[in-house]
Order: sequence, then structure tokens, then C-alpha cells
Amino acid sequence: MPTHREDQAHRAYDDSPDRFRASHPGDSFSGASGVLFEQAMAQTRMAICLCDPYTEDQPIVFANRAFRDLTGYDESETVGRNCRFLQGPGTDPAAVARIRAALAQEDVVVVEILNYRKNGEAFWNALHLGPIYDHQGRLLYFFGSQWDVSDVRAARADERHARELARELSHRMKNMFAVIGGIVNFTGRARGIETEAREINDRIQALGRAYETTLDEASSGSIEVGQAIRSVLGPYDPEGQRIRFEGNGLRSDFSAVSVLGLSLHELAANAVKHGALSVPAGNVTVRWTRNGGAEHPTIVIDWIEEGGPNVDIAGVTMSPKAGSIVDRMLGMARGNIEREWRPQGLRATLRLPLREEVG
Amino acid sequence: MSDLPCQVLVLDDEPLILLDLEFAVEDAGCVPLTALEADEALEIVAAEEISAAILDVSLGQGRTCEPVARALAAMGIPYVLHTGDLDRMDEAVRELGGVLVPKPTPAAVVVSRALQGLIAQQRRAG
Repeated sequence: MPTHREDQAHRAYDDSPDRFRASHPGDSFSGASGVLFEQAMAQTRMAICLCDPYTEDQPIVFANRAFRDLTGYDESETVGRNCRFLQGPGTDPAAVARIRAALAQEDVVVVEILNYRKNGEAFWNALHLGPIYDHQGRLLYFFGSQWDVSDVRAARADERHARELARELSHRMKNMFAVIGGIVNFTGRARGIETEAREINDRIQALGRAYETTLDEASSGSIEVGQAIRSVLGPYDPEGQRIRFEGNGLRSDFSAVSVLGLSLHELAANAVKHGALSVPAGNVTVRWTRNGGAEHPTIVIDWIEEGGPNVDIAGVTMSPKAGSIVDRMLGMARGNIEREWRPQGLRATLRLPLREEVG
Repeated sequence: MSDLPCQVLVLDDEPLILLDLEFAVEDAGCVPLTALEADEALEIVAAEEISAAILDVSLGQGRTCEPVARALAAMGIPYVLHTGDLDRMDEAVRELGGVLVPKPTPAAVVVSRALQGLIAQQRRAG
């Protein structure tokens, strides 16, 4: 807790509103509303001042305790001066111009302006300014409330900086994956192994897409599984018509990204070559859920192909090589894959240990 | 339609990506003309007969392919914008209305997207 501005309600009685009332008997600061004004001004943590529009240079005629606490100036240094004494180097002339315009037009305005305390310390002041009228609609005072928003502005700036950094990082990473892809391609071309190079490159690019989604929340250390899945599979369904995504906001540790991304890429590449994505009417449903108790939580991904070419069930189950890369990758990650070949297409279930945030 | 081989301008500030795209343009049966900078690309546009172009959007140090895209648009030459950062892409470039191809996309696909524009244009011309 800061010590110098705490709990103003319980501090010694502030008599400045009282004295101000006494010296302005004609301004409705009498009776019940006068007492209210007095107590409100004394208690509020909002720095408040009133300026006289009829005196040369519109000086401050009243400043409450919070105003004095905020600025560090006491009453004798405040009353009688124009508010601009709070300005200093770095105060934006445009903000000052907006204040002037509001005063000239008796308008209400909120301006964030760089001000200085008596000790020279700068602070960002969210200044609210507006006219106060009497019963006849005659302008009585200009009302100003000040609130120190330096912390808010610093947080906003930090957030903006972090966003820019994440974007730059994302841009560079995409560029790096593009360069790696280029190297693989022209090496394959020079060696006369374009097909192999293409296969390698497709895997690398799938990996790149899976990692891309982790950048937005790099600091959290975890990824949203659904986002990574959508990103990896995006190029296999450019129109967004063939692949249905079903899942909630399941999150996983960063380490799941590579195996998850590459496994789905292999399934999709197979579907494009032989399965549901090889014919116009086929489609795939991808569903991700969390399974298992607290002991062994698991990411479970169902891959369901439908409407593809008729599967020769006897043929595929006899093939020992089917998807061996996927099996080995998932096995290495202490997960597994089960395949069920149905006439309408492959149905596969992938399981991967879910590493959740600790604590 | 002329019998001259189709020439494709490729602009990218990253030499290795440029090399990959150059191969891909050759594989598609066209002649690649490569540039690492906007000025270099503009010289090619002025001197050569270009059928289509592949333009990297951000060319480093805040520079973009905008002048090249503008010149091509004025001449009615189709081009694709090859970019790793669709969000940050300059509004001015976006307004020029080229076909967007996000990075990374396999070079062969980038080239075929660029040539699609050319084919569409020839079809319209009859």
C-alpha cells in the first residue's frame, strides 16, 4: 500500500471546502447541498478543482485535498493560479489546445495530459473538465477532476510492445520456415529427388503451421489444441467445406505441438491421396477431447473420414506398413493410434499424454 | 497471344526464397526475372515484357513492394502478393488488390497462383 495517499476519509479534517464556501456565499454552497459539497470534497480521492471563468486567466479558486496530494502543491501555491502550472516539457500542445477549445465553448472534455508534481515528477493526468452553471444557467465555474493514470498508461504501453514483439517474431518465424522450405526444394531439385524433397517440405511446413499458433500466447507456455489442429489442417481444406472441427478450448503443454501437428498432417496427406479428401464428396471430422482422470490425462483426437472412395477393408488391414511413421511418432511421445477401416472411410483415434500446467 | 516465352517477375529480399521461386517458375515453363529490391524490379518492369509477377510485400527496413505493385497494376499485369504478415501489410498495398498468397506456401503453388491470374486475363481478352 502506498503510504502518502491512503484512506483520505479518515484523516484530519480538511477545512478548505469550508473556507471556500464561506468566501462564496452566493453560489448555492449553503444549507444541505453545502454540507454535502464540503464532505464530498474532503473525502473523495479524486483530485478536484474549480476555476473562476470571470477572473483574468481563469485561476483556480478551490482545490481539494486530493488535488494537493496528487500535485504536491499546497493551497497557497494553487489557488489564484491557472491550471497550466502543472504542465511542463513533453506536455502535448494538442492536448492543451483541446482543453482551451473546451473552455472556450463551455464543453465537457476528457484529456490525458502529461503533468508535473511539485517535486518535478511527471505523471499522466486523466483530466475531466466541464462547466458548472447556476439555476439561471449562468456559468459559475469550470470544474476539473484529475486522476493519475500513469500506471494504466505504462501497462497499455507494455501490452502494445508485447503485441508488436509477438508479431515481429511470428513474421520472422514464418519467413524462416519459408527459407527452410526453399532450401529443401532446391536441394531436392539439384539432386533429382523432387518427390522426396516435397515430402520433407510438406512435413516441415505442417510443423511451422503448428508452431505458429503457439506464438500468440508464448508467455503462457501452453497452446490451445484446437487452434493448432485448425492451423495444421487449413491448407487441406482451403474452402473450409471439407473438414469439420469439433472441440472445446482444450489446452496442452507446448511439447505436444510437434507430434500432434505432424501426425495430423500425415493423416490429411493420406486422405488427399487415397481417402475422403481424394474425391469431391468426401469429408473429415476431427474431434478433440480430454480423456482420463487426473492421473493420466490424455488428448484424444478422433479422425473420421466419410464419403471417400470405398475402402478395400481386406487390403488395408493386411498392409503392415500403413501409417508407420505416425505410429512411431506417437509411440515415441508415449501415445498411440488405433485405426478402424470402415467401408465409408478410415476412423482413427490418436492418443497423446496431456501435460497440463503444473500447480 | 504472342509466341514469346512468358516472363515472370519475382521480387523477394530473401535470396534463398528467390532461388526457390526461380526454379519453380522455370519448372512451370516460364522465364524468371528476379529482383531483390523494388528499384531493381521497377527497372525490369520498364525494360522487359512481363506476363505476371510474384511480389514479396515487406522488403526490409520498412520498405514494401508498393511502387512495383502500382506500376504493374497501371499496366494491367497480374501479380500475387507473397507475404508472411497479412496483418501488418500496408493498407496502400492492400488497396491495390493483388491476389494474396500467405508465406510459407510451396513455391510451385505460388507460381501457379501467379499464372492463374495470367490465364484469367487471357480468357477475358478472348
